[in-house]
Amino acid sequence: MDDRFLQQLKKGVLEMLVLALICAAPAYGYELLQKLKDSSGGLFVLKEGTLYPILYRLEDDGMIESSWFQGKSRAAPKKIYTATEQGRREYARRKDVWTAFVGAVESFTKEVERDETQPH
Amino acid sequence: MKHNRTENVQFLPPVKRYMNAVERRLQLPLKLKVRVMNDFATSFIARREQGETDAEIMAALGTPAQAAKCLNEQMKEYTFRKSPWRFAFLALALLSLLWLAGFALFTHSFPPVNAGVGIIGGADGPTSIILTSSPAGIWPAITAAFLAAVGLVGFFRLRRCRRR
Repeated sequence: MDDRFLQQLKKGVLEMLVLALICAAPAYGYELLQKLKDSSGGLFVLKEGTLYPILYRLEDDGMIESSWFQGKSRAAPKKIYTATEQGRREYARRKDVWTAFVGAVESFTKEVERDETQPH
Repeated sequence: MKHNRTENVQFLPPVKRYMNAVERRLQLPLKLKVRVMNDFATSFIARREQGETDAEIMAALGTPAQAAKCLNEQMKEYTFRKSPWRFAFLALALLSLLWLAGFALFTHSFPPVNAGVGIIGGADGPTSIILTSSPAGIWPAITAAFLAAVGLVGFFRLRRCRRR
């Protein structure tokens, strides 16, 4: 069951995760939904309505760009998203920020727990 | 990129009705609606390729009301920001149009001019000519039409979408 804290955490990292997936390989919307679900062990189960605004923000900010992809034979064209150079740099920056953030929180909680166990 | 719809894709009537129903409920600017509907179409195509039926896809996406509500809530930053000044422009346009209509009715002609066009005048002497119509007669109408156009343009531009 998703509590409010978990929802806030998920909301905070979702854009970075979507950008990560697109940086790894061009993808269309439904493909991103599946990868988010599979790669997160079911933690990120989204609907299209939640994903699209994230894609449009990233696209408007120049992190990704969309194009029409015609598959083999007579497959219908699909709209796919590809990372730009700016998007790749931004993902690298956000990943560094995330690593530092996680490290800081881990260190903080360990410090607090150590203080709790020590006699006063 | 061009935001083209997947117009060549064959969607059956229930799917078309579903997508039209979602689109009608979106409170977004036209360009953004096109983006959303293109992505929806891609989603349908991708899910079909994975073996889902149209009914299963529509069930997964939610009812049109649910799908549109989710999008509208998530995309509040793209919604129209309406300026109250747009009513001033609208009032200008309406007053100008009313004046134009009233003047046309009063003079029984359109475009409104102050007199008929049959007689251009007469001479009352060797040096004077009386004009029965004023060359400036059409200018009030042009001015009113211009003000009406300004009002309408201002009204619609002031409800333009802004990303917050």
